[in-house]
Order: sequence, then structure tokens, then C-alpha cells
Amino acid sequence: MTGVAEATEPFRIVAPDGRANERLVHRLGLDDDRLRQLYRFLRLARGADREAAALQLQGHLAVYGPLLGQEAAQVGSAFALGEEDFVFPAYRELGVALVRGLDLVRYLYGWKGILHGSSPDPRSDRFALNTVPVSSHILHAVGWAMGARLDRKRACAIAYFGDGATSEGDFHEGCNFASVFQAPVIFFCQNNQYAISVPLRRQTGAPIHRKAEAYGFPGVWVDGNDVLAVYHVTREAVERARSDYTPTLIEAMTYRVDPHSTADDPSRYRTREEEASWQRLDPIERYRRFLTATGLADEAFFEQVEEETQQLASTIRAGVTSLQPGPMSDLLDNVFAEMPATLASQRDEAISLAGAERESSEPAAR
Amino acid sequence: MSEQIFTLPDLGEGLEEAEVVRWLVAEGDQVRLNQPLVEVLTAKTNVEIPSPFEGVVRKFHAGEGEVVPVGGNLVTFELGAATEEAPKVLVGYGVKTDASAAKRRPRLRPPDPVGAAPSGRPQPATGQPEGTQSLDERIPVRGTRRIIAQHMTASWTQIPHVTSFLTLDATELEAFRRELAANTTTQRAAVSPLPVVVRALVEVCREFPKLNSSFSAETEEIILKRVYHVGIAAETDDGLLVPVIRDVDAKGIMTIAREIAEVVAAARERRATPHQLTGSTITVTNTGTFGAEFGTPIINAPEAAILALGVIEPRALIVDGEIQIRPATTLSLSFDHRVLDGAEAGRAFLALRDLLMDRERLRSLPRD
Amino acid sequence: MPEITMVQALNSALRHCLREDDRVLVYGEDVGKLGGVFRVTDGLQAEFGEERVFDTPLAESAIVGTAVGLALAGWRPVPEIQFNAFAYPALNQIISHVAKYRSRSAGGVDMSIVIRMPTGGGIGAAEHHSESPESLFAHTAGLKIAAPSSPLDAFSLLVNAIHAPDPVIFMEPTIRYWSKESGELRTDGLPLGVARILRHGSHCTLIAWGSSVARCLEAAEAAEEDGVELEVLDLRTLVPLDLETLIGSVRKTGRAVVVQEAPLTAGFGAEIVARIMEEAFDALHAPAMRVAGYDIPYPPAMLEEQYLPSLERILVAADRVLRY
Repeated sequence: MTGVAEATEPFRIVAPDGRANERLVHRLGLDDDRLRQLYRFLRLARGADREAAALQLQGHLAVYGPLLGQEAAQVGSAFALGEEDFVFPAYRELGVALVRGLDLVRYLYGWKGILHGSSPDPRSDRFALNTVPVSSHILHAVGWAMGARLDRKRACAIAYFGDGATSEGDFHEGCNFASVFQAPVIFFCQNNQYAISVPLRRQTGAPIHRKAEAYGFPGVWVDGNDVLAVYHVTREAVERARSDYTPTLIEAMTYRVDPHSTADDPSRYRTREEEASWQRLDPIERYRRFLTATGLADEAFFEQVEEETQQLASTIRAGVTSLQPGPMSDLLDNVFAEMPATLASQRDEAISLAGAERESSEPAAR
Repeated sequence: MSEQIFTLPDLGEGLEEAEVVRWLVAEGDQVRLNQPLVEVLTAKTNVEIPSPFEGVVRKFHAGEGEVVPVGGNLVTFELGAATEEAPKVLVGYGVKTDASAAKRRPRLRPPDPVGAAPSGRPQPATGQPEGTQSLDERIPVRGTRRIIAQHMTASWTQIPHVTSFLTLDATELEAFRRELAANTTTQRAAVSPLPVVVRALVEVCREFPKLNSSFSAETEEIILKRVYHVGIAAETDDGLLVPVIRDVDAKGIMTIAREIAEVVAAARERRATPHQLTGSTITVTNTGTFGAEFGTPIINAPEAAILALGVIEPRALIVDGEIQIRPATTLSLSFDHRVLDGAEAGRAFLALRDLLMDRERLRSLPRD
Repeated sequence: MPEITMVQALNSALRHCLREDDRVLVYGEDVGKLGGVFRVTDGLQAEFGEERVFDTPLAESAIVGTAVGLALAGWRPVPEIQFNAFAYPALNQIISHVAKYRSRSAGGVDMSIVIRMPTGGGIGAAEHHSESPESLFAHTAGLKIAAPSSPLDAFSLLVNAIHAPDPVIFMEPTIRYWSKESGELRTDGLPLGVARILRHGSHCTLIAWGSSVARCLEAAEAAEEDGVELEVLDLRTLVPLDLETLIGSVRKTGRAVVVQEAPLTAGFGAEIVARIMEEAFDALHAPAMRVAGYDIPYPPAMLEEQYLPSLERILVAADRVLRY
């Protein structure tokens, strides 16, 4: 990559050993409670994610894409959003959903296979439906941002995606539109180094954050495992979007510690040494050291957070294991606002077949 | 204490099985929820499964190295408190064994022989053909009537029918009947002509066995029956049924009369057993009971002949060169022309008539 | 004879073609190092090297678009689309270019490309992993479509498809990836464009392809208990459609039921029924019927069993035509 000036390190506030740049911490404008709250969210995100992963391995979720290792990227950025801002997730953002106050059991409906999507009302949640076709939601984020701008709102959209998504056409079209229309949108890339098995070096020929230059807006490189640094750059991007209608591309460097899904076998494409080296950069460990070293949190606090995490895990487990799907007819009802006759007759068939199933699956009278 | 069985989930989009690589706990261990339980190898990768329960591991259902199908039993847990019914676990969709579902499945029937509706086109199963008025009344043909209809269609289309007619001077027959009635003491069987004709017919069948036979199209054989079970055609609310009197050759006229009354009543009251309604080797139909003089009875397939007895009433007959008024009837005999040709059938028919006109020979038939 | 899974059969077919012809390339997301998310390309990169078997960035339009260019440069690309619904970003390249290049060049350019994709549902997957988009491709002139139902057949069809001068959309039934069959892998097996009667019967023909064939065979087994003989026809190829075998069978039985996972309206079953009407109307004892998915987006995992053509629904359809 000749002729391209690049930063040698992503932006960081808290080092892996927990030592922090005091001045930068102070400039964040976060009081002690909020600093502790960040830890709480990090720990809850991991607890919820681990429980979901376990539930999938136990057969209670059909599929699940784990976020282990990416907690700081998700929590730090979501923490910087305002109430009016709108999140456009890919499908791995349980941590963002947690911080944004979504009902996590409802969020998991899609993974369980009850209903598609994470919520029946994206507009009130300010949280769009999970999108499996990679990068396609980026355009949605840009469109929402265009709409918010037409309304002269002081709000922004944030689209979350991974390194793989930056190879898709929709990413580039989205960046270009955002630039041309000056849409208040944040392109937040969780660069977890892999798209299933394809490593970063085979995904792109240039650093992701540098691609923003081609579209005429700022690109930021940040240590995705440093929750304060992520918070900082996201808050700046939020301000930039709301005040200047200028997009930002944030590349948060992190690592997908777990496999892509339970069907994946990372031993085929990466080494244990690599995995171990990233575990040393664990975001939660790092932040805990920081809080302890600065006296912002004590054992009692950490224990309380552990308890809360246990409770959240139990709540998720109880909620997910008891979920049952609604009737098939609901799916037919929700295809159109006004149902065509051809679909109505299929609905009748679906209902009568389901009824026959139910009758015959009831225990025989004794 | 309650037991829960943990079955193997589908760990990767349509997998059908997994191999147990290593149990990470031992039978009898107390385990925590989510504690690493077992390592399995799927077609895609190794997976470590966390324990779905907190409790005691009671029993492994597969050993290390064994392959378990998705949905198959992995391990039984013993749980502390009595729990509610285990929540249904997503097991995967590639392999489904639901034997009870198979039992509940819709049942099919082979299609009916294809026949065209009057217009030549198949008519829709439900609803009216377009353009017809709804003044017509439609009576569905179901149950027994449907079976009778199918049976008659088969008889008529598969057996080449020929019907012969003979006028029977019933003077001797009527006299014989009066003798029988006079001689009955304890029995109150009505001695209609029918049981006499039935017994007489069987006598004739002994001499002309082809009357009491069956044509087999598959094997191209005429099967001469050695038993004599006579079917008695009876009108019932459900249509024409044919109850059977078995071993008529071993029975006397009075017994036959009584049994006819019994089985016909049973058929009319819908309490006849399948045994009573099947197995005839030749059939008699008493068309006289509804006033017909003679008819063209339809053979009760797979038999070879059917005799119809018409009404006995005064007729003008030529006796010894003069017109006399005599009780008379017409006998109608339909026969399977593959089994009997005209001459044979004619001889048998005449033999029957001769017997029925001979009081002495009638008296020699078994009576009781 | 050893048993072989469909994954192994497909792997063998790719291996055979890579060996036989230096110009064959296999590429797509995660097909190289990982060996494919279903392991269909397992071991191929190790044997043939990174130039012939390689991973691409996450970009389906580019995967297919570059196949066009590779074909123009004299290569025989066999790209993989990781899951059926991910073909949608590539539709412009498939429909506007792969399908039309020969025609637009008045026959001068071969688009000898095979686009492989796992197809169909019943695997408890996330959204957009369980589609049956064959209609989209069938409706596009210039594309051939293969739809194997069993391992040995998958082998022959894939080898045949790679040899073909025309572009082939190769739709692999995901739910049958792990199904096993014993027998010999044959490069001279039944080619594209030939359908196969898997089970003979005189009362009604069940017509299916890919993932639905196994369910039709189950239905025929069940019907036999009732004295009903269902003939099962595996189309194997949707384009070109083997009309001779299809019409021959329907003329014989006089009754037809098409079974498809794809939604009912404008599915490939509609095409089959239209052909039957045109060519065998006089021999029909009943209208040709379809058993299909409902006209909804593919449902979530816990409801997919109610959506897919079940044994019960197939028998109900057979009963209707038998009783007509």
C-alpha cells in the first residue's frame, strides 16, 4: 500500500493492562456512575451472549451468532447514542440490543425460529430487524438518515456490520449515497478479523477505515476492545452526524473469539496462538483492571454485577425455553396488508391442517 | 426427583447425526447448568455441549465413539425438584421419526374404474356441472347401496348372461305344499313355494353340476362346487341383500323354510353376519313376491346361474288338448354362457320343471 | 459397496473435473481453506492449490460477475453461492449477463459456468438460508437448471454440468447433503435433461425434484399399504425439461401431482402443470395438482414443518385426484 499515509495504531484510551490516559478519560465527560455502568453492560452482554450460545448448543435456539470478544465495540458505541438515534444491526448485535433496552428474549425470537426479526415494532424500539443478507441493511440506514434529514431531525442512524460486509456492493453504494446526500449516518464496522473463514487480508486490499476517504467523509480507526475509546469516537461521530450531516466510518478492531456459529470449525483456518493472543486483549478484563486501578469500582460492585448477570441469564433461559411458536396462519396474515384471495384459501388449508395435527397429537382419551 | 432425557440437537443446519468423542463428566456426577458435558464430532466440526440441566448424570445412552442420530437419546439426568414437563427442544429437521404421525396419515383407495359421465367428460367430484338446473334431486349412493351397485355392475359387465323361461304348471307343487302345511304340527313355518323350489333346485344341481359352479377368468377354469349353499335374494331397506342357506343338500324342506325366514329377517333388520351374507354357490330370487310374472335376473357373481320364481296364479294352460285353468308360474333361469351352452342349460331347466311337476318325486325330497 | 453422502459425491465430482481439466476453477466464500460451510469443497485447495481453488471476499455479485470475465478469458469457473438467498445480490449478473452472453454474441461466446448453491429448507436455519428460487432462473432464457435428489445422481449431474457449454444453476438440496447411497459414481450417468422414474405405479404420478423427491417416495410407500400405486418421477433437471418422460408417465397413469417446496404461485410446478395440460389433456382423469409451500416468505425454523409439503399433504392431494 504505497502512497497511503496510515496510522500505525488504532485509537486507544485504556491499554490492555488497564492503564489509561487520564486526560482522555476525563474529556469523555462520563461521571463515575456512568463509567461503572459501562462495565455492567459489558458483563451483562457477555452473560447474555454466553447463555444464548449455550441454549443453542442445547437445542433451544435453532441458530445463534455469538459476539464473544466484541462486547466493548457494541456496548461502547451503543452507549454513545441518544434516544432518537436509530440502530441498524446486522445479526450479531445482542450487546447493542441490551444497551438500547430491548427485551432480549424477544430479540432471540428470530434465532429460536419463532418469528423472523427481533421485534414487531422497529420504529418504537429504534432498532431495525436483523438482516442476514450481509450489508443490505447499510442502505436502509442511509435511507433512514436521509429521511431524518428531510425532517430536520437532530438524530442519526448507525449501521453495524463486519469486515466482510465492506466487500459487498451495498456498502459502497451506501457510503456514496450518504456522502452525496449528506445523510446523518454512522458506518460502524466491527472488524473481528474474519468473515467465517476468510481472513481480513483476503477480504480487502486497503484498511477499512481508509475507504471513507474515497467517499469524502472521515474514517476512524479505533481499538474495538477498549470500551472508552469506542465510546469516544462514536460520540464524536454522533455529534458530527447530527450537527453537520456528515457521515463517519468507524473501524473498530476486535476479534470473534467463538466460531461463526456452532457449525463452524475455526481450527481449519486459524491457530490457537492467534486466538490466545487476542484473549489477552479481552475487553472486559481490561476495563475491570482499569476500574479497580482507579478505585472506581470495588469487589462488592463486581459481585453485584455477577449476580445481576446470573439473573439475566436465568431470565433469558426461562424465557427462551418456554417459547412456543404461534399458528402458521399468523404468517399468512402478515404477508400483505390486504390479503389476496389466493392466499386466503391457503390460509384455510393451513388452519385445518394445523387443527388436525393438534387433535391427533393430543393424548387419546382413556 | 424427576428424570429428564437430553437428546442430541441439530448443531449445524440439517445434520443427521454426531459421534460422541468424549464424555466430560461421569455417570453419578452432580453437574451445574452449562457445565461442559460432552464433546461430539459432527460432519462439520467438534462441538462441546454444555449441560442443559442442573442435576445428577444418571445414565449415558451412547459410549465414546458411538454415533447418535439427531433427536436420539444422549444422557438421562436426575433433577432435584420435580420439574414441569421438559420444554420441547428444537432437535433439527433433517431426520424425523414420528411413527404416530405415520399412523394418522390420510388413507387412500385405488381409483374407481373410469367411466364417463353422460356428457363424455369426467364430472367434478363436488358441485354441479355447469349449466344444470337445480330442479334435479341428487341421492348420494353410499355404504351398502354403493357396494351392491358395484357388485351388480361387475356381474353384469363380466358375465355373459342368457336367460331362459319355462312355464311351470304348479298344480302338483301347490298340492304338495298343502300336504306339507297339513302335516306341520309344532312348526309354524309358512310353507311358501320357495323352500320347495330351493330344495328341488339343489337336487337338479347334483345331476347338472355346472349350474352350481363358477367361471374363473384369471385361471380360465370352470370350478364345480361340491357344496350347495343357496343364496336367497331379499329386498331390504339397504337394497338387495343375498343371505345364504348353507348345505341345502343336507337339509329338509321345513328346515330350509325356517332358515330362510330367519336369515331374511336378520338381513332386513341389519343384524345378519358376514357369514350369513356370503358364500352362496347358486341363488334363487322370488320375484313373485312383488307380482312379476317373469324376469331377467342378474347372476350373483361369481356364480354361474340364478333362478327367479315368478308369482303363482291361475293361468289358462293347454292340458291334454284342452284349455284348463291351472295354478302356474314362469321360471326364469339366467346362466353364465361361458359355463353352460343353451342345450345344457335347457336340459337342466327342464329337469327342474319336471321335478316340480311330479308330486311323487317332491314327496321323496327330505322333508324336515 | 460403500455408502457415500451427497457431500462426498459432490466433492468427488469437483475433484474429478479439477483433475481432468486444468481450466476448471472452484471459488467462492469459505470454499478454500475451510472447505466450504458444508464441506463440499473439502481438501480441494490442498490438492489443487490456491490458484485453482480459492476464497473470495464477501461479494456475490462480484463472484458471478467475475465468472463471466473468467469464462471470456477461457476458464471454466465453478463458483459457489453459499446459500440460495445469497444469489439475490448476484441476480443482475446471472440474468443480464450469464444467461444472455451467448445469445447477445450470436453464439460466439460460451458461458460454460456452473453456479452451485445449497437449496431448500427443512434444516432449521436462520432466515434467507432455505429458499427455493428455481422459478427465477427457469424464467430466464439461457440458463439450465440441475436439481439432483440423491448422491450418485448429484455426482453425474455435476460432472455433466461442468462439461456443458451452457451455464448451469446447480441446485443442491441442503437437507439431503448428509443422505447416503451405495453404488458406483459414474461420469457417464444420466445426463442433464433426462428425468428418471424412481418408482413405477399405475394410479397417479408424483412429480418432484431435489429435496421433495424423498418425501414423494415416502408417500408412495405409504400409499402401497392402501393398494394405491403412486409413480414417482424425479425430474433431475428443470431446464431442459424432459417432456417425453414426464408426459409418458402422466399419459400412463392419467393423474399428476407436482410437489415443490417453493411457494405455490408462479412456482415451477405451474409450468409442469401447463405442459401436462397442453400435451396430455385427453389422457387425464383428473386435473393435475400441485402441493407447494404457501405464498409467504420462508417461515422461521419452528414453523417450517407446517409449511413444507408434508407426507399428509401429498397423500391428500393424491386422494383428490384419485377420487375425482
